Amino acid sequence: MARLGERLLEVAEVAIAAEGADDAEALVIREAGGLTRFASSRIHQSTWREDLLVRLRLVVDGNRVGTATIHDMEPAAVAAAARRAAEVARTMPPDPGYPGMPGPAAYAAAARWDEATAAADPATRAGLVAGVVHRLPAGVTAAGACETRELEVAVANLRGVRALGATTAASFSILADAGSGTGWAEGAEPRLADLDVAALGERAARKAVDAREPRELPPGAYPVVLEPAAVATLVQFLGWLGFGAKAYDEGRSFLVGRLGQRVCSPLVTIVDDALAADTIGVGFDFEGVPKRRVTLIDEGVAASLVYDYRAARQHGVEPTGHGLPAPSAEGAYPMHLAMVPGATARAELVAGMERGLLVTRFHYTNLVNLMETTITGMTRDGTFWVEDGQVRGAVRNLRFTQSILDALSAVRAVGADTELASEDGHGAARAPALAIDRFNFSSATTF
Amino acid sequence: MRAMEPEELAELALRAAVAAGAGYADARWVRQETESLTVTDDRVDDLEAEDSSGLGVRVLVDGCWGFAASALLDPERVRDLGRRAVEIARAAASVPGEPVRLAPLEPAVASWSTPLGRDPFVVPLAERVELLLAACEAQRAVAGLTHARATVDLWRRRTLFWSSEGARLDQTVTQTGAGIEAVAVGDGDLQQRSWPNSFRGQFLAGGWEVVEAADLVGNAQRVAREAVDLLHAPELPERVTTVILDGQQLSLQVHESVGHPLELDRIFGTEASYAGTSFVRPEDRGRLRYGSEAMSVTSDATTPGGLGTFGFDDEGVPAQRAPLVAGGMLEGFLTSRETATALGTTSGGAMRADGWGSPPLIRMTNVNLEPGEGTLDDLVADTADGLLLSVNRSWSIDDRRVNFQFGVEAAWEIRGGRLGRLFKNATYDGRTTNFWGSMDAVCGPQAWVVWGIPNCGKGQPYQNGRVSHGAAPGRFRDVHVGVRGSGGSGGLKASPPVDGGSGGAHG
Repeated sequence: MARLGERLLEVAEVAIAAEGADDAEALVIREAGGLTRFASSRIHQSTWREDLLVRLRLVVDGNRVGTATIHDMEPAAVAAAARRAAEVARTMPPDPGYPGMPGPAAYAAAARWDEATAAADPATRAGLVAGVVHRLPAGVTAAGACETRELEVAVANLRGVRALGATTAASFSILADAGSGTGWAEGAEPRLADLDVAALGERAARKAVDAREPRELPPGAYPVVLEPAAVATLVQFLGWLGFGAKAYDEGRSFLVGRLGQRVCSPLVTIVDDALAADTIGVGFDFEGVPKRRVTLIDEGVAASLVYDYRAARQHGVEPTGHGLPAPSAEGAYPMHLAMVPGATARAELVAGMERGLLVTRFHYTNLVNLMETTITGMTRDGTFWVEDGQVRGAVRNLRFTQSILDALSAVRAVGADTELASEDGHGAARAPALAIDRFNFSSATTF
Repeated sequence: MRAMEPEELAELALRAAVAAGAGYADARWVRQETESLTVTDDRVDDLEAEDSSGLGVRVLVDGCWGFAASALLDPERVRDLGRRAVEIARAAASVPGEPVRLAPLEPAVASWSTPLGRDPFVVPLAERVELLLAACEAQRAVAGLTHARATVDLWRRRTLFWSSEGARLDQTVTQTGAGIEAVAVGDGDLQQRSWPNSFRGQFLAGGWEVVEAADLVGNAQRVAREAVDLLHAPELPERVTTVILDGQQLSLQVHESVGHPLELDRIFGTEASYAGTSFVRPEDRGRLRYGSEAMSVTSDATTPGGLGTFGFDDEGVPAQRAPLVAGGMLEGFLTSRETATALGTTSGGAMRADGWGSPPLIRMTNVNLEPGEGTLDDLVADTADGLLLSVNRSWSIDDRRVNFQFGVEAAWEIRGGRLGRLFKNATYDGRTTNFWGSMDAVCGPQAWVVWGIPNCGKGQPYQNGRVSHGAAPGRFRDVHVGVRGSGGSGGLKASPPVDGGSGGAHG
């Protein structure tokens, strides 16, 4: 199905025309895309799907809130969903803290829609995979995925919000397997044409060859250079652990008692910026509030939170455009985190390390202690020993158990170039490589 | 124009796929209804009610797979799905491998649905809200508690499976979950205690009786007191000791270190770049000692109440029960029609999709640790020195499923066969076969519970699977607890790499 554009807003307007509602909001999302997966250097799974979601939020009696979500845009189905949401609302207890809904706003035009990416067919994706697979060195096989997708979002409410946005996205990931070593690379861009797939393939293959015959290294605390994908994991976990105002208010944020204080190295600045030219997404949140750039950690100081409409009203501030579909038990969430790059070339980060580890990426990271920002996870697909500024071969993968803030407090240098990375569906983060003086590896594995 | 019935849509898609050149095709029409309710303290914090229908078409063309799916189901779009799936499969042939061959299957024509006590979707919303508010109110009566949360989740999925081989299946699976979470915050710390399990509670196939059995209100004050006690408890010191894992934690241990490594797609490398592979090889069957003689694990899609319980998997293969590990020896794998061919067997029926929009993948069904003997009290009484570790709060394992580390909500010291002090922030870690090799006891049927895991991630695009694990508490010897290097100054240990040696391995 072709791009729907204004048609999405028409669906939203039909939805909020329900009789008897004091407040009404419709969120309409259309997603479509194809994903071509490969393993052992063959395409083994290739999919395409399209979805259309209509989520209604209706308010009766001033502060009783009900929601209903359907995957259909036929007027009769939308009207039935509106009746369902109103029925739910009438059943719900009053919400004394109901903040109302946002009013109309102006939205920055985000030019992230690329027709060629939206129209990319399975042969195009397969061709990119073939090009990479056919150039692999002898003895190296590859697994990974090539994805192209399009996203359209509309929000309308009875107070005059009319938000409409669209974005495309393309990604290519490759894990190269050279027997006793693996290497990995990933790229993500709004436009497929901007992905340098061949370079990703070459990088992964080179890493895999270099990662062969890994040696065993005892667990312990080591200096590290984390490549951007690994840094993105740390940044995204921080986002999950409490930049949202609701989490902060409920005491389940690591920032409780730390706002305005130094929490890490002055070399570290973290922002959330959905409007940046080099990210993916639309320019408003799920309540139709324009997204703003928010500096969360400013040269090492915990600077600010993100707010959805409810939290903003409670705090007497402007919402920052980070609302999830309301009402939300989680509250606001930063989905476009970025660590501001430094001035050190990535090669110099390694060259400046006397002894330590170069880490490509992390696997299966999980929270250990929220208030300490301690997480655990494994290295994978290229972990190397560095001595006198030179890579001296691969080491077996290690488990880290490490406070993120402690690691960011020990940053020695920040890389000059950044990559857009994603981790387990938590969103996307843009991060540079980091040189860190001390990183705790708590155990080791067998490969 | 009359809207087409789901059966007609499935038939239409199938015909279009075959006409476009599919050698094999199946069409799955799925309707999934979800209702999720969250009460925090004294107010409804979130309520989601979602109704999603769509159709996915999977085809084989010249030995390559293609899949296309949509939520928008007018007749022309449905025909297009069949044609599009074939186009996708043809594109895949540009990077070919061994052609896919499907293990033989007698196509079934059948209906199946989850046995229900009380249909949870007809329980009035007001009744659900009232129960959760009462569960929160009971928690909040405990001094020192910061937040109380209570949740109910309902899922119903109807699946029509139509295949070009003649299968015509109609299944409806209903699953219900409920839980409470007590949160205590203070002195820069946050502690949580959950019931019956963490991450929104206990989930089973069944109706409102699942919620009633959880007795949220009856357990609320105990759980809240434990959360407050944890806030004031000491940190668990690092050491090597005996641990007893409760059934909730042991079910996740089974999930991560037995279920996933035995998925044959992981073993064959087709999930390598994302979820990972496995330390297990196909030729290990019958040869690999996975654990001690006390360890027997069964894959059983017929377990009453399991989230992995169904009549047929999403390839139309009937539900089965088969051993994975027997007396500690590896006996089987979780398989599909495609992967079973490579082993020269028929499918074990473990292909499951998370909805209309995803192709089926090999997933766990109910992967159960078979019970041993005795009660938890008996096991504690038989333990001179160790820890009882209760309810998961953190999990992580490497991409071949060898090195793992788990965190739990609570740890009680065991001294002389009796429970003693409470510790917080407890973790344990190990390596899979060493750890299972150290298990010397599992409690009996009276302590055996089917625990639901509703959040198993796998695949690209990402799919969320719901699986279960029957487990009773079990005891493991010489387990490392706590985190190396987490406390103390330690200094910087930038040692050069060493060749060989144990290198800090444990478990």
